[in-house]
Amino acid sequence: MNEDAARDDIAFIRRTMEQGRRVVGAWSPDVLVWGIAIAIGYFGTYARVRGYWTVDPARLWLACIVLPWAYTLRRLPARLVARGPDAPAERQLASPLAIQWFACGIFLTILGLATIFSGDRDPWWINPAVAGVMGIGFFVSSFLSNVVWLRWVGIAWWVGEVALFALRQRPEGFLLAGALMLVLLAVPGFVLMRGRRECA
Amino acid sequence: MSDFDHSAIDELLQSRVRLAIVAFLASAGQADFSLLRDAIKTTDGNASVHLRKLEDAGYVAMEKRFANRKPQTTYALTERGRKALLDYVAHLESLLPPAKANKGRSK
Repeated sequence: MNEDAARDDIAFIRRTMEQGRRVVGAWSPDVLVWGIAIAIGYFGTYARVRGYWTVDPARLWLACIVLPWAYTLRRLPARLVARGPDAPAERQLASPLAIQWFACGIFLTILGLATIFSGDRDPWWINPAVAGVMGIGFFVSSFLSNVVWLRWVGIAWWVGEVALFALRQRPEGFLLAGALMLVLLAVPGFVLMRGRRECA
Repeated sequence: MSDFDHSAIDELLQSRVRLAIVAFLASAGQADFSLLRDAIKTTDGNASVHLRKLEDAGYVAMEKRFANRKPQTTYALTERGRKALLDYVAHLESLLPPAKANKGRSK
């Protein structure tokens, strides 16, 4: 094997690995958008509870749930059409991750809407519950995608869940939940998205 | 280049198809047969033969399961396979002049 062949092989390995990495990053823009949207919901709720803002929490949360869903589902028709043997391998391979997060999203949406329409004035329990589901989502994702650091994000979510239990029925719980959404959802989404762009 | 140990090159990874499988699994984590076949752009038969060789060498692990009553075969890279890929890349880089090897790694 000569120098040119070695260089050619290294380039080939890099291209193939980049293709694999794009699979892992396929869901990252949605993660980023959801992290920011839900963080806005929490910070807005905190501002409302503290009297800094007069926004109606129910309307705020509806917007913070419906808008990211609209973003997530924007490619659904194209995805349905593209299913089948000719669908790009990357898209197909991303399915277990997408389905897992889709399931988490459905659960959290039902939980969120039920809380909004139940009229519960202090649904403190929802914050730790959301954090627990996020922990499960990231922990499972790390094994599906083989991205090891994601399991630490999952564990951090569970630590956050405990902290949210400790802050139950206190406005600071909303502040912490918002911060967790930014740090443990939006930031990982951004990091994954950057990795994906670098590979593209 | 005279000190390069040619016998140390992993012959298993000298096939482009097998190299592609190992490299793809190293970054993607796991993949089922059809996805892997599409990703490396080869035929069922070809992918099957090369995957069998990699499995026999302990480079990839296969898992069979059912999804929607359809059999699904999933492959993942083993630690041995990951080490083999890293060793192979190290051997390739040793063939390059030091400056070029470092430049290639930093990209």
